[in-house]
Amino acid sequence: MTKTASDEPVDVLIIGAGASGAAVAWSLADTKMRIVCLEQGDWMKQSEYPTNKTDWEVQQFGPFNIDPNIRKRETDYPINNEGSPINVVNFNGVGGGTILYAAHFPRLHPSDFKVKTLDGVADDWPISYETLEPYFGQNDRMMGVSGLAGDPMYPPKQPPLPPIPLGLVGETVARGYNKLGWHWWPSDSAIISQPYNGRDKCLNLGPCISGCSQGAKSSTDITYWPEAIRAGVELRTRCRVREITLDDQGMADGVIYYDDQGEECFQNAEVVIMACNGVGTPRILLNSKSDRYPNGLANSSGLVGKNLMFHPVGFASGIFEEKLDSHKGPQGCCILSKEFYETDLSRGFVRGYNMQISRGSGPFHTAIQGYMNGKIPWGPGHHEAFQKRFDHMANIGVLCEDLPEECNTVTLDPDLVDSNGIPAPKIDYTLSENSRRMLDHGLARAEEVLLAAGAIETTSSGLVQAAGWHLLGTARMGKDPETSVVNPWGRSHDVKNLFIVDGSIFVTGGGLNPTSTIQAAALYIADTMKKNLANLFD
Amino acid sequence: MTDLISTDHPLTNPQQQTLSALLDVLIPADDDGLMPSAGEVDLGAYVNEKSRDFLPALISITDEFEAPFAALSFAERLEQVRSWSEVEPELFQKLLMETYAVYYQQGRVLEGIGSKAGAPFPEGNTVQSGDLSLLDPVLAKPRGYRRV
Repeated sequence: MTKTASDEPVDVLIIGAGASGAAVAWSLADTKMRIVCLEQGDWMKQSEYPTNKTDWEVQQFGPFNIDPNIRKRETDYPINNEGSPINVVNFNGVGGGTILYAAHFPRLHPSDFKVKTLDGVADDWPISYETLEPYFGQNDRMMGVSGLAGDPMYPPKQPPLPPIPLGLVGETVARGYNKLGWHWWPSDSAIISQPYNGRDKCLNLGPCISGCSQGAKSSTDITYWPEAIRAGVELRTRCRVREITLDDQGMADGVIYYDDQGEECFQNAEVVIMACNGVGTPRILLNSKSDRYPNGLANSSGLVGKNLMFHPVGFASGIFEEKLDSHKGPQGCCILSKEFYETDLSRGFVRGYNMQISRGSGPFHTAIQGYMNGKIPWGPGHHEAFQKRFDHMANIGVLCEDLPEECNTVTLDPDLVDSNGIPAPKIDYTLSENSRRMLDHGLARAEEVLLAAGAIETTSSGLVQAAGWHLLGTARMGKDPETSVVNPWGRSHDVKNLFIVDGSIFVTGGGLNPTSTIQAAALYIADTMKKNLANLFD
Repeated sequence: MTDLISTDHPLTNPQQQTLSALLDVLIPADDDGLMPSAGEVDLGAYVNEKSRDFLPALISITDEFEAPFAALSFAERLEQVRSWSEVEPELFQKLLMETYAVYYQQGRVLEGIGSKAGAPFPEGNTVQSGDLSLLDPVLAKPRGYRRV
């Protein structure tokens, strides 16, 4: 029997407390509406992150693994990746993916919103960089972003905090880029380089992707959520939504979810906002079948779950004779290069990629990686090979733009279910020839940079399997209900009180980390909702 | 040298001696004595505390390399371990993972490789801010994004 969570319907019910759910909750809070957010995970504690402990590296293989199928927390749901060369990685908890993200925080480029117009592929977004520009700035201030103004690859912007340290890795690789005459710039990072809004600055612990013990990494549990809760938003954890329900008029009237005791509950709501990422959102929509919507909710276009975009990733590594102190400092944030970001068809592919320079690994990971790639033997010679690599490495991640293709999908697995019996998502994805060529080009250029920087040895590999961080495109926005799921401000074409604010709504994905753009779009949608409150469902 | 303290050890003394001789092959001490052998680490206690699922396999491994393995020369032990790693690659890899995991947590090891012992937090690390004048050639380049 379904328990009713409260007698009163809430005005706004948000599903998911990650990057976009936090932003939309905070923005809508000033309306004084009754807002409730349901999050399937827990609050995290900084004191429990791995870098508080000596076995911090080992925990990345277990409870803080980025892959939910390995991590297997009670709050995770399984994902069937068998049909994909890229595994979905995520985190389920207050803060969502921002708990374990690297915090690399670039914005999409203006050209990313007009891909069809400029390059004749995919589709244009119905909104532009200029539409989101004020929200990018607002989000940078809310999150606490460090960076440097003046990048010639962007329209003018001013990060609120100075850049995080380049370190020896950044300086060394930057010299390589300068030798080749290629672009580079200190990364915009959602990591505070100075004390900011009551949080203390980064301590250069290293492994941001297992959570930040210092609280310097800007995850939304310590940025947006405290302010949203102070403003009256209610956040309920350990609440896993199964489906969205409809009233007689075909409007969303609430959700059915399982609480922390596994009890089935119903929460009535006037407006439902989905913020569950590009896999979680289509999962719930497809599971919300009814006589009116037999193919899943908001799916008259048939596009819910289709056009899944990842960012195919590969890495090049360089070994340097000089010590670079590689394991110190934010691992995924240092400098970046946009030299090959914009389309140049002479390269053999359309669109482009971002080069993300990252620092080295800790000792355990160095030893394991060295064993796996045959560079550090066990037995005699171990120490010599280890010392040659540890703290002597610089890495370049090549992050490619993936174009939308309807054959890349999120569907419901017919057999696999989570602990509440909800069907698990099934991923079917094929790397396109364009993406393959782009990745090969990027890895070759990355090795070229490392050699120019003085590397004595380089290697590269990709496609990386455990790199499905960026989950985009599975409920795309657009003006035409036949070719999109939501309108230009995130409202479902089919269900007028249902909104989507996460990466699902991306029309194209650009070639860079999307969190900044996801949050800017969520703030824009929230602002548009506020401006249209009187006729929100017209 | 292990940082672990254990009273109820999961391995018998002969098993511990065998395991120590085995780990000594996986990561031998270096010539100048700066880096210890993995045989000095109490892997049995570590697995018992942190990775208990692996304990039965670890015991069976030590039984496989029963006496007189510990009394063999390094070269003989190396040859035996190499042969076994080819017969049981998955088990070998798991043993290696666990060995590396505990070895590279040891304070003496971390100091030997020039890293800090213990948890990274709260001490953290110092990283130089870097020379932003390196950006001068980048700033001299024309605007690089496409206007729409």
